[in-house]
Amino acid sequence: MNVVACVKVVPDDQDLTVSPDYTLDFDRARPSISTYDLNAVEEGVRLVEDNGGSLKVLTVGDSSIDDSKLKKNILSRGADDLLMVADEDMKAMDAHQTACALKAALAKIDSYDLILCGDGSADLYAQQVGAQLGQLLGIPVINCVSKITVENGAVIAERTLEHEVEILEIPMPAVISVTSDINLPRIAGMKQILAAGKKPAVVLRATDLEYAALATIEVLETLAPKETDRKHIIIEGDSDEAIAAFIANVAKVI
Amino acid sequence: MDFGLSEEQELLFENLADLVEREWDEEAYNDCYYNKHCYPRDFIMKLQEAGFTMLGVPEEFGGTPVDTVTMVMFAKELARMTGASLPCASNAISIDDILSFGSPEQQRIVLDYVAQNGSAPFALGFSEPQAGSDSSGILTTATRKDGKVYISGHKTMVTDADTSPYLLCITKNLEEPVAFKAMSMWLVPMDAPGVRLEPLHKIGLRTSGFHEVYLENVELPESSLLGVEGAGFMQLMKNFEIERLMLVAIGVGMAEAAFEEVARYANYREQFGKPLGQFQLIQEKITDMAIKLENMKNIIFKTAWEKDNGRSVQIGSALAKRYCAMASFEVLDEAMQIMGGMGYTEESRISRMWLDARHLRIAGGTDEIMVHIAGRAILKNYK
Ligand SMILES: Cc1cc2nc3c(=O)[nH]c(=O)nc-3n(C[C@H](O)[C@H](O)[C@H](O)COP(=O)(O)OP(=O)(O)OC[C@H]3O[C@@H](n4cnc5c(N)ncnc54)[C@H](O)[C@@H]3O)c2cc1C
Repeated sequence: MNVVACVKVVPDDQDLTVSPDYTLDFDRARPSISTYDLNAVEEGVRLVEDNGGSLKVLTVGDSSIDDSKLKKNILSRGADDLLMVADEDMKAMDAHQTACALKAALAKIDSYDLILCGDGSADLYAQQVGAQLGQLLGIPVINCVSKITVENGAVIAERTLEHEVEILEIPMPAVISVTSDINLPRIAGMKQILAAGKKPAVVLRATDLEYAALATIEVLETLAPKETDRKHIIIEGDSDEAIAAFIANVAKVI
Repeated sequence: MDFGLSEEQELLFENLADLVEREWDEEAYNDCYYNKHCYPRDFIMKLQEAGFTMLGVPEEFGGTPVDTVTMVMFAKELARMTGASLPCASNAISIDDILSFGSPEQQRIVLDYVAQNGSAPFALGFSEPQAGSDSSGILTTATRKDGKVYISGHKTMVTDADTSPYLLCITKNLEEPVAFKAMSMWLVPMDAPGVRLEPLHKIGLRTSGFHEVYLENVELPESSLLGVEGAGFMQLMKNFEIERLMLVAIGVGMAEAAFEEVARYANYREQFGKPLGQFQLIQEKITDMAIKLENMKNIIFKTAWEKDNGRSVQIGSALAKRYCAMASFEVLDEAMQIMGGMGYTEESRISRMWLDARHLRIAGGTDEIMVHIAGRAILKNYK
């Protein structure tokens, strides 16, 4: 079976700095794999190990994602190859634009049986792209999947909901968003890292795709919260009054 | 001059950091160290699964070949991230003698064991009570009778003797006057009749055993010989320069771990109404520690680079061993000083690293023997 794992490239949050005017400075932040998408990649690797086939990673974003180390990082996680669309026209896309771009990029792939997405992105975490992509492709789509097996050409997916575990049989092709506890993404060893540089990685521009999507969201500002000094309010004891006072104080801040 | 890492090296250390963050359990390690006296097997097996214990081993043996610089950096980084002395970072060097000179059967024993345990299956039996720095003075012998070989002698300070299935035993032909032509290597099963262990109690490195090994007429088949008879010393010396670098790289990593910890500590621990770091006496310590760390990293990485570029490291490796063994301990000692009394307790890993690093001035060739090697060689260059 041929699996495509969708990966978002986000700025490494460890390198983000807050400027004096509370805007975020991304200058020193190197592109990195959105954490939750590592679970999608790992699940793809596992499914291909169990059922044969191949795993392709698909990513779309601005031109900064066309980064040699990032490509090796992605490919060291067990995928067979990478399709990247990197273009300044794809800067800061919203979920709708991203889903449209992924659909257009998928048109460049010969065949796929399953498309895997992460639970949400590490920067925006809107949890929208998987659902919108399924809708645009007109194929089955589900999220919150915590276990996947393949039987007789169909996907058996488990969704862990609040009070129950739902088990669904889904025909392929389908889009599935996996939870972050579906698996533990493997650590890439030096062998995989060295091999990654030799795996095929195709980089396209927006003009190579049939893609046009208008932004549905306008970002006015992204600001870090202002720091305040600790209030040092200490409420002692476990009496009802103390607990009520504690709740009243918590309520003030939320 | 390029001091940057390659993308592959950066990814290697990022993955190692992820693994350490996920799998390193400081409490479990302290239990191994202070109570159980064993290696942190679960953690080592995680390193093994990711292929990190086979770094530097040729591909044909299932490893991942990397250059010496990467191996030395890996040993340093593993020690920095864990604060522990884990010899499995140097497997490639320890098992190279077997892979280079051993029979296919001996190679298989070693590779299978590393695959299952993440470490080499043998302890090194070289030192003897009367032969430490002067290893030419060993008296353990191998004698032949009726197609069998009989080993007799007394080895001492044998690391891991109690947990290793084999002893890589160095014997001497007492009739051969040229010391380096007199030695041979044998793989002696530890459970062979005639092998007896007596424990020694190290003050540091408490995850590994330390033993006297008595060998009394231990009968072996001829196939226990490793490599060529009489070439044992040359075989053992094949990698000793890199071995020294790998050994002190662990000390450098532990010193760096302690430095990072106490630099943070100095920023928040307050005495006399201000953080320790605001006292110039503490700033001086931090500064001198940073200088030593820079010097140590420069000398080990540069020497590794020289090796990778086909240059002689005879002097360089001795300088690196002598300098880093001493400087890493000095940095750890100052780290303990900045920590104060808590640094002298088992609650702080600084005391553990301090105990561990001290052995670097003795094992793998003492500080003084490094002068013996480097001093003569340097002067010879100016004759
Ligand atoms: C933690 C640890 C692990 C070890 N593991 C092993 C092991 O697994 N297998 C093994 O075979 N051995 C092992 N050893 C032994 C180690 O190789 C020896 O300790 C080392 O070679 C020094 O020998 P020695 O202890 O007999 O000291 P000695 O050689 O007796 O030296 C005592 C002192 O005299 C100095 N000295 C000696 N000769 C000279 C000279 N010519 N000029 C000036 N000063 C001199 C030394 O530098 C030292 O300061 C280990 C040692 C330690 C500490």
